[in-house]
Amino acid sequence: MAYSEKLLDHYENPRNIGSLDKNAEDVGTGLVGAPACGDVMKLQIKVGPDGLIEDAKFKTFGCGSAIASSSLVTEWVKGKTIDEAETIKNTDIAKHLALPPVKIHCSVLAEDAIKAAIADYRAKASKKDETREAAE
Amino acid sequence: MDHFARLGLPAALDLEPATLDRAYFTAQRQWHPDRFVGRPPDERAKASTEAAGLNDAYRTLKDPLSRAVYLAGLNGVELPGDGKTIDDPDLLMEAMEAREALHEAATPEAVDALAVRSRDEMTKALAGLGTLFLRHDKAAIRKALLRLRYLDKFAEEARARRTNLQRVKA
Repeated sequence: MAYSEKLLDHYENPRNIGSLDKNAEDVGTGLVGAPACGDVMKLQIKVGPDGLIEDAKFKTFGCGSAIASSSLVTEWVKGKTIDEAETIKNTDIAKHLALPPVKIHCSVLAEDAIKAAIADYRAKASKKDETREAAE
Repeated sequence: MDHFARLGLPAALDLEPATLDRAYFTAQRQWHPDRFVGRPPDERAKASTEAAGLNDAYRTLKDPLSRAVYLAGLNGVELPGDGKTIDDPDLLMEAMEAREALHEAATPEAVDALAVRSRDEMTKALAGLGTLFLRHDKAAIRKALLRLRYLDKFAEEARARRTNLQRVKA
């Protein structure tokens, strides 16, 4: 199977591998997994006071396409608002990396991961708001 | 006809390898192409279909996990395929931690220790499945099978990691 140059580049030089503190209030963590292949993917975002995603990290145990998809998403979301980041579609990822049809599910997983990270961040933020209101 | 019925076996999770082998080889002899040389084409065609069906049944039932997945299917439990993420945070956390530990294991011995632990978990989970099937607890069966898939994948990755480490050493 011939893989695109962009895919190989992300696979061989993955961006933003690593972890952020999952207990920090300004960090959202998405943990997802593909049932059929046993892959597991963690994607984290750190949101600055201005509402922009200032950092993103990922850790993926899976095939090259899964690694490339998550690497690409961390690169894309940096500097975006969470609302913007939420609009990333798996089809954009698949198209950018020219994923072969059998690997489309890897891009779906990466979309699930960023959505889960955003949901986690929002849940934390609203909890913080509640505590603040309760304190007032 | 389902794979168990084809081999004349009860549709159950517990199956001794020797029992399966015996059932398979007995049935396979009956439909062996050699016995149909010189017979009419329709009989020969039937024999080869039956033989292929037996091979398929044998392959599916031989591995305990594949047997469990198949039996679950017969019981109306559908496992998610490719695509959407699984919705089981505990399993995902367990899988992530296990894979991180494997990634950090620097010696064949360290890999073996992790592999042994995961094999124990697999044996335990398979043993627990029997009860879940008796109770027809579909949600629990589904959950347990997904976990088994991850443990199976871990075993595969552990083997690969071990081979790599040994190659580096040599």
